[in-house]
Amino acid sequence: MNTIEEKLWNYIDGTCSDEDRKAIDILIAQDEVYRRKYEELLALNQEFSKMELDEPPMAFTYNVMEAIRAEHAKQPLKAGINKRIIKVISGFFIVSIALMLILAISNVHLGNSSANISVHLPDSLRLPDIKNYLSKPVLEGFLFFDIVLGLFLFDAWLRRKSVSKHV
Amino acid sequence: MQSKLSDIELIEQTLAGNQAAYADLVKRHQRFVFTLALRFAKNREDAEEIAQDCFIKAYRSLSAFQRQSKFSTWLYSIVYTTAMTFLRKKRVDTDSIDDENTYIQLENSSSSHDVNSAENKSRSYYLNQAITQLMPDDAAIITLFYMGEQSLDEISKTLGIEANTVKVKLFRARQRLKEKLEHNLKHEVKELI
Repeated sequence: MNTIEEKLWNYIDGTCSDEDRKAIDILIAQDEVYRRKYEELLALNQEFSKMELDEPPMAFTYNVMEAIRAEHAKQPLKAGINKRIIKVISGFFIVSIALMLILAISNVHLGNSSANISVHLPDSLRLPDIKNYLSKPVLEGFLFFDIVLGLFLFDAWLRRKSVSKHV
Repeated sequence: MQSKLSDIELIEQTLAGNQAAYADLVKRHQRFVFTLALRFAKNREDAEEIAQDCFIKAYRSLSAFQRQSKFSTWLYSIVYTTAMTFLRKKRVDTDSIDDENTYIQLENSSSSHDVNSAENKSRSYYLNQAITQLMPDDAAIITLFYMGEQSLDEISKTLGIEANTVKVKLFRARQRLKEKLEHNLKHEVKELI
């Protein structure tokens, strides 16, 4: 603490030690320069304390709350979905796959040779012969659908890219 | 009419999904946040944008508020970082933020008019005018100390600097404010103080 002003500001703020406070008390009482400076700074301090806050526009709170509401509305669906629902759905699939695996493994009969593995699934779980359904028109239709879907997704990706560039 | 609930109670209600509680919190702190933003932005439009941004940021990270300090201290630290980011975005680099010459131009443009009309202006007008001529850091420290009723420790948390550094900065800011007042008012300053 070097200057008189610095000491006096600390004295006014109450941030100086007790020892310094006592010393400054004496100086203010006895030294005319200290006393005048102290009175000047005290008056300034009082003026600074009286400064008034600026008033924001009338609709300030409303604007803030509207912005918050708009942000909620814009929240992406994946952030809006309850995580419990996702957990329940994934749990259902995990349990189903696990049960099917257990069922399949329990029906595996190993013969004498390791190459001779035969799986006996229940009749209700037998897969239909897929060859009956995979005709040429079905395959062409499937391929056409894939191409259209691919183009649609590519277009959507390009649009998103151009929007983010503009922002 | 503002809520009589404490800041913490309003925060708890907001976190429970009551948006009206947050509106009360905004109403309670908006004047100071706006004033502090104005110390950096120097115009009302930008200050409003900064202040609004601060309240939205605070809402987003309300659950992260540790409650180890006052809500106001936490909020003012958001104001400080948001305002600094805003100034940088406006291509006012950090050197010029700390450069007093930038604000001397402002001072010179207005001081001649002030002296002529000194008798007609109130004390608070001159003080506010002198504050707007200070560098943002100085103006912010003075505003936090006198208008935000923040202690030196709280200001150090808000600005992310040591309490002793705040003490030195506050001293220098008051010196500069006094000089601005003296310059603007010339002889009238003696009567003012």
